[in-house]
Amino acid sequence: MSHWADAAPDDEYAEQSFVRPYTITQGRTTSARDDLTLITVLTTVDAPGEEPPARGLQPEHRLILQQCRTPVALAEVAAGLNLPVAVTKILVSDLITLGRVTARAPLAVAAGQGLDMTLLQAVKDGLLRL
Amino acid sequence: MAYSDSDDRVGAHATHSTAAQAPAAVKILIAGGFGVGKTTMVGAVSEVVPLNTEEHLTVAGVGVDDIDGVDQKATTTVALDFGRITVSPQLVLYLFGTPGQERFWFMWNDLVHGALGAVVLVDTRRLESSFASVDFFESRGVPFVVGVNCFDGRQDRTESEVREALDLDPHTPVVMGDLRQRRASRDLLLALIELLMSGPAQLPGHPVAAQPGTIRTM
Repeated sequence: MSHWADAAPDDEYAEQSFVRPYTITQGRTTSARDDLTLITVLTTVDAPGEEPPARGLQPEHRLILQQCRTPVALAEVAAGLNLPVAVTKILVSDLITLGRVTARAPLAVAAGQGLDMTLLQAVKDGLLRL
Repeated sequence: MAYSDSDDRVGAHATHSTAAQAPAAVKILIAGGFGVGKTTMVGAVSEVVPLNTEEHLTVAGVGVDDIDGVDQKATTTVALDFGRITVSPQLVLYLFGTPGQERFWFMWNDLVHGALGAVVLVDTRRLESSFASVDFFESRGVPFVVGVNCFDGRQDRTESEVREALDLDPHTPVVMGDLRQRRASRDLLLALIELLMSGPAQLPGHPVAAQPGTIRTM
């Protein structure tokens, strides 16, 4: 298991933006979807070089497509774009509607209820490898 | 392994893209008073530099001061630190450090909803700053473990003193450790997983249901 502190310093994800966040969403303040969570895992559908034309996409949409080539959680996308989660949800929702990104909902976990032992064992094994 | 360090860069030489490979995600909350070491712990076990984002939070105006003149709802922005542990190619664990604005974070349902459980960090010099977290998780029936942050092995309270001061359920594990150390933070997470694996009967909040009225839910 790798650890971030062992690696060479990475480039910053995104430039600091001077554009007001809701300008990027063209004034929209709520997402068309309400099923996106902080840990919904997003994956870009098209491989690099096979993307349909990016007409109509904002630069931020394109950054999301780049970032989600490796599946990542929505919270990571927001951090990478340096945008609030709410704004990121709107942009991600656009891309899902366009069929450019797929979303995987978090595993259904109800705190305090009987949990899936296979899941817990997997987490335990993963932690023991740290 | 689904992730390597270089993948964290935007678009850096990504080599695969199909949706079928997407892992599922689960989360654990790291709670506790301001300055108690939440981000330290996230950083100690995360495979990425702890990330930060912000979310707008809608707060019901009831009983919340400093929002004079706002009748029903007010919005505030909370910052959130988080890290990631890739458990397997199919499963990723996210750790979320709850916001420092202690009065507000527990109303953020999106954060609590769907969490496996929580870690409550305490600083023995300021035990009271973690009371709110303990109360909240107990009343919601969210399983949690308590981590006592002992920098450099300094420990000015015993486990039983902490247990008594926080009025913990006897089944709630208390782990002492220097959370800057990866091993100590990992062991704290392991204690939580083992608590979860011990079955619902061992979890605080069972069989007694959440006490209505203790915490105002939205």
